[in-house]
Amino acid sequence: MQHSLTEKGGDLVVSLQGDVDLDSSPAVRELLLRCVGRGATVFVDLSNVSYIDSSGVASFVEAFQIARRNGTAFALVSVSPAARRVLELARLDKVFTIHESLPGGSDDGA
Amino acid sequence: MEAHSTSDAPRPPGSGDAQAGDIAGAFALLAGMTRDFADTLDLEATLEHGLSSIVAHLDAEAGSLWLLDDDKRELTCRASVGPNPITGLSLPVSQGIVGRSVRENACQSVLDVSKDPGFMISVDQKSGLATRSLLCAPLSVSDEALGAIELVNRRGAGRCFAEADIHLLQVLASSAALAIANARMAANLVDAERLRRELELAAEIQRNLLPAPHAAPFPAYGVNVPARTVSGDFFDIVELPDGRIGFCLGDVSGKGMNAALLMAKTASLYRCLAKTVERPGELIGTLNDEIADTATRGMFVTMVLGVFDPKNGRVALTNAGHEPPLVHSPSGGFCALPAQAPPLGIATGIVPGGTYPEREFRLSGGALYVFSDGLTEACTRTGDPLGSPGLERLIAANAGKPLAERVHNVIAEVGELDPRDDLTLLALCDTARGGR
Repeated sequence: MQHSLTEKGGDLVVSLQGDVDLDSSPAVRELLLRCVGRGATVFVDLSNVSYIDSSGVASFVEAFQIARRNGTAFALVSVSPAARRVLELARLDKVFTIHESLPGGSDDGA
Repeated sequence: MEAHSTSDAPRPPGSGDAQAGDIAGAFALLAGMTRDFADTLDLEATLEHGLSSIVAHLDAEAGSLWLLDDDKRELTCRASVGPNPITGLSLPVSQGIVGRSVRENACQSVLDVSKDPGFMISVDQKSGLATRSLLCAPLSVSDEALGAIELVNRRGAGRCFAEADIHLLQVLASSAALAIANARMAANLVDAERLRRELELAAEIQRNLLPAPHAAPFPAYGVNVPARTVSGDFFDIVELPDGRIGFCLGDVSGKGMNAALLMAKTASLYRCLAKTVERPGELIGTLNDEIADTATRGMFVTMVLGVFDPKNGRVALTNAGHEPPLVHSPSGGFCALPAQAPPLGIATGIVPGGTYPEREFRLSGGALYVFSDGLTEACTRTGDPLGSPGLERLIAANAGKPLAERVHNVIAEVGELDPRDDLTLLALCDTARGGR
């Protein structure tokens, strides 16, 4: 699993790549909590995620819960078919805000 | 593997080597120390005693034994012999001659400390000694220094340590190092054993949260096989006063003790509420709010919860984010029941009105199978997951057998393929209408 963090007009974009599973989810969790803790809007780009297990989903849920408490926005974007299957099967698409692509176009703005 | 450095000029030949040539005495000391270390139940006392013997044998004015702290930044004196004990004193491993011995994992022999910039006068101030010469050997095991033994000021003729003294101290330090490493390993084993016993106790408590099997013929049967000692899956079967059967099967996100604890809470809540809350959608809404109030680290529970009436074969169930259960009809077809709402514990009031959507249907002589994703995600011999079609084949192959045998057979066949995940399967059979 690889990840990167870019800033785009004050918003944070976390891009995840590969498997988000029991091995990699602690690092994902730490990164997401750090981003949400900054009080910015956080977008998690899942276009290159090949697999998510329940520990990976839990790291998104925790970030979502904190953002909700703080009144900040947390959204998943460009969800890969593999990740979408997991989210839809568990009806987590009813929980998370999901965007087809990053709002404001495709320039990376890094 | 001899590693030592000697600073200053060597001693004149023949001045002290003869004293250390007492080979029989050295062997006796080594044998005694090794025996003490092998027998000891009190390592600190044995180290203190061993150090006294070394100091006496090598005729030093004082000696100290230092061990590295867990973070490997400081050395702490764990035993000392001399005018003023310095046991408990700590030094940064980056300083002093003892620190150098540990850093370099090598003996240090300093004939005149005043010429060694590494010498720390602060230790002399504590020990009440005026150090002239020093001999230091690392306590090394597997090329790693756990600490060091330091001797101060040779008594008698020549008044400094000889080459033979270095070798002897090195051998004695190796013996002590082995004893320390063994004692630490034994302590770790004791800790691991205690943890294992606690896990077994937790697993026993967990097993008791599962329902006792009902005597056949009973139209509901379930099995839970944890992959580890404790499980994040659970199921329950409750006989309601009006003859209906309440059931649920849940899977907590993640693995290990945290999942097991949330499982215990959810199972207890269900058992408590099942006899008083009539509707599955309402019951699961109450469970959600209770779990969401206290869940941490984003943990959640996927669950299927329902009520089955064996008299008419009617089922009412709700699926919160769980793997779709399968209805096996008497004609042999399967129907999957996908989740209608998200998993439990994510947020209170996540379903408008707090009541989860329900499905109602009749089994009409068929059977309902509810299971954890350990069954569908089990890895087959081709490397692909078993999936719902694979599980359907296993269920179909066992149809017609007594309910308990069916459930055990399916679990055993999946477990043989892939035992890495918790496996839980609950089946309800419309036996009154010849269910198979």
